Amino acid sequence: MTQTLTAKDSKSTAKAVSRPKSGGHNAERLAYLFVLPALALVVVFRIIPLIWGLGYSFTDYDGMSAPRFVGLDNYIGIAHDPVFLDSLVNMLILLATLPIWIGLPLVLAILIHQGVPGGKLFRAVYFFPAVLSSVIVGAIFNVLLRYDGSFNLFLKAMGFSAVDWLGNSSTALFSLIAVQLWATFGMSLLIFIAGLSTVSAEMLEAAKLDGAKLLQTWWYIVIPSIRPIIEFAAVVTTIGMLTSMFGLIYVLTAGGPGTSTILPEFLIWLEQGKMNRPGYASAISMVLFLMMAGLAAIQIRIMSRNADI
Amino acid sequence: MKTTNRILRAGTMLATALVMTLGVATSAKADTTLTVWDWKSGDPTTAPYFEKVKTDFEAAHPGVTVKFVMQPHDQYYTLLGTAIAASQGPDVVLVHGGSQAKERIAAFSKLDDKIADIKTRVAGWDEFAGPDGSAYAVPISIQGLAVYYNKELYKKAGLDPEATPKSWAELEAICAKLKAAGTTCFALGNKEGFGADFFYSAAAANALTAEQQAAWTAGDLKWSSPEIKAIVQKWVDTQKDGWYAEGANSTAKFMDEYQSFERGENANTIGLLSDVAHWKEFDEFLEPQNVGVFVMPPVTASVNDKLRMPLAGGIGYAVTKFSPNQDLAVELAKSFTATPAMQVFFEAAGAVPSDTAVDTSKVESPSAKIVLGSLSDGAPLLHNNTSTAETEEWHRQSQMLFTGETTVDKAVARLDEVQAQAKKK
Repeated sequence: MTQTLTAKDSKSTAKAVSRPKSGGHNAERLAYLFVLPALALVVVFRIIPLIWGLGYSFTDYDGMSAPRFVGLDNYIGIAHDPVFLDSLVNMLILLATLPIWIGLPLVLAILIHQGVPGGKLFRAVYFFPAVLSSVIVGAIFNVLLRYDGSFNLFLKAMGFSAVDWLGNSSTALFSLIAVQLWATFGMSLLIFIAGLSTVSAEMLEAAKLDGAKLLQTWWYIVIPSIRPIIEFAAVVTTIGMLTSMFGLIYVLTAGGPGTSTILPEFLIWLEQGKMNRPGYASAISMVLFLMMAGLAAIQIRIMSRNADI
Repeated sequence: MKTTNRILRAGTMLATALVMTLGVATSAKADTTLTVWDWKSGDPTTAPYFEKVKTDFEAAHPGVTVKFVMQPHDQYYTLLGTAIAASQGPDVVLVHGGSQAKERIAAFSKLDDKIADIKTRVAGWDEFAGPDGSAYAVPISIQGLAVYYNKELYKKAGLDPEATPKSWAELEAICAKLKAAGTTCFALGNKEGFGADFFYSAAAANALTAEQQAAWTAGDLKWSSPEIKAIVQKWVDTQKDGWYAEGANSTAKFMDEYQSFERGENANTIGLLSDVAHWKEFDEFLEPQNVGVFVMPPVTASVNDKLRMPLAGGIGYAVTKFSPNQDLAVELAKSFTATPAMQVFFEAAGAVPSDTAVDTSKVESPSAKIVLGSLSDGAPLLHNNTSTAETEEWHRQSQMLFTGETTVDKAVARLDEVQAQAKKK
């Protein structure tokens, strides 16, 4: 009896010891199960297409015949394609405007945070265009910016000459950038307003007591305090600039005049959809992917370094 | 934990059961559905024609449903390309004649041995033929280019509204007189480059011999050849001479250009013969007696005794190779050319039908009479026989010629390069 009891005790003790371990495994399995759908979506809709795209970029695939391996021909073609090279120049011009994309919402966010009259109204007004689709924004500005549109009527009424904003190569890209900036800066503005709420009120009060001027407060206290937020906004905005202009280009200029508003993402669509060259389009996609990955890596590296500091 | 696992297991089983049930339900459906892709079936003017085709076909084929899927025109070939690449989607597809059809022939079924009964009645087959001359789509309309003009504005400028130009010099004289009267000579929209397409195609119709047209189609007649270069030069000259309103590069041809013409802001426009931007549409806005039509004279001497209207098979229906209902799909494609349906197409939409048996004798529009009278003796439509790569490059170059970013020499040199690459491919 004693022996039996001892065996029972020993068995239940072992079970008690192993229970947490078994429960841990189950929890781990369950955690994987919860992650699985998201992981599957990423693999199916991101990773596998990326690998397929890479494969197609080495073929002459035209969407109809079986793909034929052509080695680096597509990449060599891209390097000599004047339309692609022009699209890169346009992309660099677009990237060069990044400081405006960050600076404008930052300044406005600081002003709203500091309580300018009507701040809440301004915040809503600035953010409103961000909820509109690029096609709607394009349609609105098509009416405003066309040669006989409202903007030129206003200019003429003021005694100035009309400008073909969307039909002239020297103004078309900048018009597009301005419209896209108007349509999207509200998102950065909200991010900055959220970031500003973390700035220490005591520090701002101390600066005020020490006689710091407004600009000094911004430069030495506010901006350094939200530096990680600014860097995050810079990464997100850069990616958005390179991947979210399609709708606007499509509606407002169709890439013209000439190549003046063709960006790599628009060229990918042109080669894939209009020219029936998915293989070539895939090669351009790969180049764009590498450029974006490189840019994002640099920006993230800067962010991490500053975070360490 | 056990409860969670049980719930998850039960959910998975339920989902599996649901999918299986749906699968069984789908496979149990015996009727056949033929899916047709186009960009026109939702248009109110063409709707009666499509309805007639659907009703007649379904009545003749019990158990078969015809399903029209109207796609946006400007993205049509992108979507079609995706369907072709995936080898699934529509059974029957609408395509433009010429390069748009010919560059996709690998995805379409050959129709030669199935169209003998309609071959002579229907016109426009060449635009849907493969390199071997086989037919790959059934044409439903004849399309072409004509210059429509506003007789009222001609009169105001002191011009005889019935005297149409027979040479480029005469056209230049008309434009000079219109300009002096403060009227813009031509409406032009070149935002997508279509204005430039229509210009060179219309100007080339009577400038090239049949051999030169064939050489162009084969990629042997270069953009830098004297005949084509002269047209490109005139594209630039006409802009410098003030033929067009400002802002052509930011004006859409469809439909901003035509709306401008319909509002009486310009005296001429290069329009189509069929379906849209054509005599019926302009008649509605300007009144039939005020709409005139003529063939664009060539910029060089005409190669024809009488100016011929540039025309070709307009749009047609192809059967996709991947359609599981090949025979039915071919029957459906052919049924679009049935004379009763084509009669509706002509009367409701003003389309110029490919079916030569359609009765057009009752038409009263003066411009329609001229258009219909020109069909028997047309000239090739050059831009239909141009590769997509050249067309895209011409769109870009035509805009840059207007902005002054390039010269005629540089433009044709670049186009020669693209033409050579397209031919090599």
